[in-house]
Amino acid sequence: MSAAVDKDANPESPPAGLLARLVAIHPVVPWVIGFVLLLPLPLLTMNAYQQYILNVMLINVILAVGLNIVKGFAGQVTVGHIALTAIGAYSSAVCATKLGMPFWLALPSAMLITAAAGAMIGIPSFRLEGAYLALATLGLGESVRIVISVTEPLGASIGYENIPPPFLGSFALDGHRAYYYVVMPLALIGLYFSFSILRSDIGRAFKAVREDALAAAATGVNVRKYKVIAFVLSALYAGCAGSLQAHMHPGFLHPNNYTLTEMVTLLLMVVFGGIGHIWGGVIGAVVVTIINERTADYYEYRMLIYGSIIVFTVMFMPRGIGGIIDQYIVKKRFLAIRRARTNAA
Amino acid sequence: MNRFVKRASLAPIAALLSLGMTGAPAAAQQDGVIRVGITIRMIVENGLRYGQMAKDELEAVNATGGINGKKIEVILLDDECKPDKGVANVNRFIHQHKVHLVMGSTCSSVSLPMVDITAKEEVPQIVPHSTNASITKKGSAWVFRTAVSERFYASVHAKYLAENVGKKVAYLFTTDGAGIGFAKDYISFMRSTYNVEPAYETQMQETDLDFRSHLLKIKSLNPDVLAIGGQSDAIARITQQSYEVGIPARVRRVAASAASNAPVPELAGDAAKGLTFAAAFTCKDERPIAQAFVKMVQEKYKIRCPDHDFSQAYETAQLIKLALGRAALGLTEATLKADRTAIRDALASIKDYNGLASGPISFCADPTPQCRDGNRTGILVEYTKGGKDYDMALLARVSFAADFGL
Repeated sequence: MSAAVDKDANPESPPAGLLARLVAIHPVVPWVIGFVLLLPLPLLTMNAYQQYILNVMLINVILAVGLNIVKGFAGQVTVGHIALTAIGAYSSAVCATKLGMPFWLALPSAMLITAAAGAMIGIPSFRLEGAYLALATLGLGESVRIVISVTEPLGASIGYENIPPPFLGSFALDGHRAYYYVVMPLALIGLYFSFSILRSDIGRAFKAVREDALAAAATGVNVRKYKVIAFVLSALYAGCAGSLQAHMHPGFLHPNNYTLTEMVTLLLMVVFGGIGHIWGGVIGAVVVTIINERTADYYEYRMLIYGSIIVFTVMFMPRGIGGIIDQYIVKKRFLAIRRARTNAA
Repeated sequence: MNRFVKRASLAPIAALLSLGMTGAPAAAQQDGVIRVGITIRMIVENGLRYGQMAKDELEAVNATGGINGKKIEVILLDDECKPDKGVANVNRFIHQHKVHLVMGSTCSSVSLPMVDITAKEEVPQIVPHSTNASITKKGSAWVFRTAVSERFYASVHAKYLAENVGKKVAYLFTTDGAGIGFAKDYISFMRSTYNVEPAYETQMQETDLDFRSHLLKIKSLNPDVLAIGGQSDAIARITQQSYEVGIPARVRRVAASAASNAPVPELAGDAAKGLTFAAAFTCKDERPIAQAFVKMVQEKYKIRCPDHDFSQAYETAQLIKLALGRAALGLTEATLKADRTAIRDALASIKDYNGLASGPISFCADPTPQCRDGNRTGILVEYTKGGKDYDMALLARVSFAADFGL
C-alpha cells in the first residue's frame, strides 16, 4: 500500500509540452478537450449493445475512481463500497418514483444521502484498521443488502421497477446512446475532481494518513476528520454511480446486484488498475468490464477465468497496471540518468 | 505532468481497444437463419443441463433440414439469476446477434426487467420458468409464459390442504422472491377464502442455516400445516430441522415449487417423506409423452428424475418450434422487424397445445395475463421417500380459469 503513490499527483511536477500550454490557459481546458473527443464515441459504428456496455464501463469508472479515494489515497480497507452504491441507487429511485423528482434532482439528492451513509460507514475507521475495518465494513455492506431484500416498499427480493429515465424537456434519455451523454460527462467530472482532490491539501493529508496515521497525527493532521472526509468523498462517487445505474433503461434495481461478488469485482478493478493510481483505476474498470462481457460466452468457465485473473494479478502484478507503468517510467529515467553520467564521464 | 499526459493518453486507447473487443460494429448476421437467444440461470448444475437441453432441442431440427427449410442458431447465456446479467444478455441478443426471439429467464427478478426491454425493442420473449405474476401484468404485447404463474400455484396447495388437513398454518420462509411469493400468496388465499390469519409468520435470510429457534416456537403452537418458502437448500434444511426440534409428522409440511428440485429430497433425506409441493410436472407422470421425456433426460442428461425446470425448458423449446413452423419468415436484415412480429403472432395463435404440462397451453393476442399465462394447470405432489433414491406421488391436478387470481 505504501508503495502505491501517485506521482501524477505531485503538484511540483512542471507541466510540459502541449498539455502545459493548455493547462496554462486554464486547468479545465484539457478536460474540455477530452470531453469533445469523447463526444462522437457512440456514433463510431457501434450498435446499441456496445453503447450499453460503454455506459456500464463508465459507471464502473466512477465507482473505481471513488473507491480509489478511500482505499488508494487514504489507505482505508473498505469492502462496503458496493453497499453505498446500493444506497445511491435506491435513494435515487425513491426520490424519482415516490417523491416525483426529476433525475437531475434525484441524482444530487442520492449523492448527498449516500455521502451521509458514507460518513456513518467511516466511523468504524476511527478505531479499526486493516482486516478489522474490512470486516466491519463488510458487515455494514451486507446489512444494507439484507435490509433492502426484506423491505417491501423497496421491492424486497422481487426488485424495484419503473424507475424513470432522465428527461430533457419532453425527450426521454432512455436509449443507450442518449444515456451515454449523461454518463460520460459525469465520469469526466468525477475524474477531474479526483485529480483535484489528490493535488489539494486534503489529498496530501489522505496520503499522510495512509502512510502512517500516528506520524500524521503528530504533524497536526486531524486523522479522524480526514478519514471521514475520504469516506464521504468516496460515497459521493458511489451515490452518483448508483443513481446512474438506477435510471438506465430498463430502470430496475435488485439487491442481488449488490452482493459480495460485485464488491470483489469492484476491488478487482482498483487492484488490477493499481491502488492509488487514478488512471490505473480507469483502465482497471474498463478492462474488468470487458472481461465480464467477453467471458459471458464461456459461462461454464466464467468464474474460473475470473478467479484466475484475480490470483495472477495479485501474484504477478500486485501494484496493478499503474505499478507497471510506474516501474517503466522509473526504469527509463534511471537509464537516462546513467547514460547522461556515462557521457559526462 | 508529463506522466499525466502519457497515462491520460492510455485511457482512450484502452477504451477503444476494449470496445473493439466487444465485437466491432455488429457483424452482419447470416440471412436465412432463425436466431434464438436463451438466457437462464445456469450457475447451478441442473441449470447447465436444462439450458443445454433447450439449446439441443431447438438445434435438433437442423439435422432434418430445419424448420420450413430454415436452420436455427441458438445463443445460450447464463444470467446467474442476476438482473444486470440478464439485462446485458438480452441487450446483446437483440442488438448484437439480432435474434428473432428471446427465451428467458429462470428467476422472476431477471425476467421482469427483460420484459421492459423486449417490449421496447419489439422482440418476442417466452418465459420458461419465472412465476411472478407481474411478468404478464405489465401489458407487453411481446411476452408469453410457459411456466405456471404464482397466481395459480398458491391455490393448488392452499385449497387442498385447507380442505384435507387444516387451516392453522405456520409460515417460515426466506427472503428470496420464491419464498416471499409462496408465503404471501398462501396467506392471501387463506385470508380471502377462509378468513384465517397465519398462526405464525416469519422470514429469514436465504443464506441462513439454522431455523431451529423459529421451528421451536412453531412446535409450541401446534399448527396443522408448516408452510416452507424458499429455494431448494433452505426448504431441505427447514424440513429436516422441523423433525429435529420435534414437530410431529402429523403436521403437514408444504413447500414452494422449488421443492421439486432434486436436492430437496436428497438433502432432507427421510425428512422429505410427506413433504408436499405444487409444481408444473412430476417425473411420476404416467402419460406416455411424460415418460418418453423422462427417459430422454435420463439417458442424455443423466438426471434420474427431471423436475419441472427441465420439463418447462423442454416445453418452451417445443412451443418455439411450433410457432416458428407457423410463421412466414423472410429472415433477412430488412425483414427482421416483420419476422419478429410474425413469430409473436404465431405464438399468440397457439391453442390447446398438449405437451408435458398437466393441462393444455393456450395463448392469445391480447397483452393480458389471461392471454399470456399459457399454462393454467398445477399439480400437487408428495414425496413418498427421501434420500438419493427419492420417490414421489401425484396427489392432485388442478386447472384454473384464465382470469383466476386477477
